[in-house]
Amino acid sequence: MSRTAVMEERRANLSLRGLHKRYGSLHVLDGIHLDVGHQEIITVLGPSGCGKTTLLRIVNGLIPYDEGEVVFRSERVAAPRPEMAMVFQHFGLFPWKRLYQNIGYGLRIQGRPPEEIDRLVRRYIGLVGLDGFENHYPSELSGGMQQRAGLARALATQAAVLLLDEPFGAVDALTRELLQEELLRIIDVEPKSMIFITHSIDEALLVGDRVVVMSPRPGRIRFELETGFGRGREIEAIRASDRFQAMRHYLWEALRHPDSDPGPVPDGVSLRMEVKP
Amino acid sequence: MTTETKPLAEAKEQKAAPMLASLREPRVYVRAVSLFGVLGAWEALGWTGIIKPSTFSYPSVIASAFLSLLFSGEMMKAAYQSSQILGAGLAIAIPLGIALGMFMGRSRTFEYAVDTFVYALYATPVVALAFPIAMVLGVDFAGKTTIVVFFAIMPVIINVYHGVRNVDPMLLEVTRSFCSSEWQRWRDLIFPSIVPYLVAGLGMASGRALVGMVVAEFLMSISGLGALSQDYIGNLEMDKGLAPVVFLMIVGILLTKLVDFFESRFASWRARNER
Repeated sequence: MSRTAVMEERRANLSLRGLHKRYGSLHVLDGIHLDVGHQEIITVLGPSGCGKTTLLRIVNGLIPYDEGEVVFRSERVAAPRPEMAMVFQHFGLFPWKRLYQNIGYGLRIQGRPPEEIDRLVRRYIGLVGLDGFENHYPSELSGGMQQRAGLARALATQAAVLLLDEPFGAVDALTRELLQEELLRIIDVEPKSMIFITHSIDEALLVGDRVVVMSPRPGRIRFELETGFGRGREIEAIRASDRFQAMRHYLWEALRHPDSDPGPVPDGVSLRMEVKP
Repeated sequence: MTTETKPLAEAKEQKAAPMLASLREPRVYVRAVSLFGVLGAWEALGWTGIIKPSTFSYPSVIASAFLSLLFSGEMMKAAYQSSQILGAGLAIAIPLGIALGMFMGRSRTFEYAVDTFVYALYATPVVALAFPIAMVLGVDFAGKTTIVVFFAIMPVIINVYHGVRNVDPMLLEVTRSFCSSEWQRWRDLIFPSIVPYLVAGLGMASGRALVGMVVAEFLMSISGLGALSQDYIGNLEMDKGLAPVVFLMIVGILLTKLVDFFESRFASWRARNER
């Protein structure tokens, strides 16, 4: 790939510029700047109540913000748009729709022709490993399977940006690891820009190209780490690497001491401190 | 994947339970013993002469009065008259109640505009309105139907309203996130969410409609099952006076079963797991 093509690839297609959000006197987000490159995966890590979910809902256009702007492909985001799709922590499947209808939901809302819906739904049911469960209701499926369906529903819309709100936060630990592997495999097949909110340091490192660490409320971006694991990731190989361990330790210390400087970064890891406008 | 299929296997097992198994359940016998015990005791009180035919009656006599009214055609004629005001009343109350409940649930402005009236009417004993209604609409079909409507509409409005209000806010956000239009939101989320509430409301509405019907027939022009009962009781023919009451009881049970059937048709996704 030529240098210019790489530059083109990395060009931001989603930018958050100086985002502020207040609920009455509560200052939730305090000047968030973030550029999400084409097919780049950003994981957002931070303590509970730091505004991560609020941030994601703002990016999706679900709630208004007070200052700054969200820009997607040079347009200001003020309402949900079909180029972005959300994966919800509690799956958000319709209990009265069978799996097939749930996965096709976004496509149906967009008014795609039935043949196209059928083709895409079948493809993504296969991709997330839910073949044979088309006619089941969500309550007949385990949490892990429901979230696979939530993921398939978002992917099926062919959105350019995927927003994931602690997607694996409501499943058990084993299922969580399986889903992480699954997600990495899907990303290799279908690269997307993603903002992935998580509480888990491991998950942030395993999934993300860039880990953004937020401060406690009012939420600010403290610093960002480039994970540098590239595509075609093998979870076990990454876990075993010194680089992973060093970054994990660094992030852990940073999260334990939210008010102090995280100190010097491990060798070979690039760090970006928050850039104030 | 194999670890994840467990709940599914359990669901299948439950579904496979044969219908005949219900005969082995103790509740069937407990109910039968209770029912026949009470009827038997009542019957015995009649035979020993403690219940006098001029003040009250007992099962075997009511049953024969029931059959004689049925075969003479009196019962069916009265039932036909009654069914007209019951049917017309429900035909107005149900759609109107659903519409009012939905708009109240979805539009704050509409809610504030009408909720005073709705709750005031809810708190009012509708029987007390029978005479004003008769003055305005007359004592015939229009007046009686209106009484039925007033009785039946309340649970429909209130339940549908609560159904709309209790739509899962998270699913509401899902519909917004996927850029759903308002109409699509009703189709995919709000209508399916209110079905269980609506069914409960319809169950109550059908019971109250029967009460309203009898009240109308007692208080307004003489017609139908209510009047039939009242006529015979007035003549101290208690057995024939109670037979229409038994008939109404059977109709009430059938209406409830009809509502249950409606529910199982439209909420199959719940029936699978929660029964």
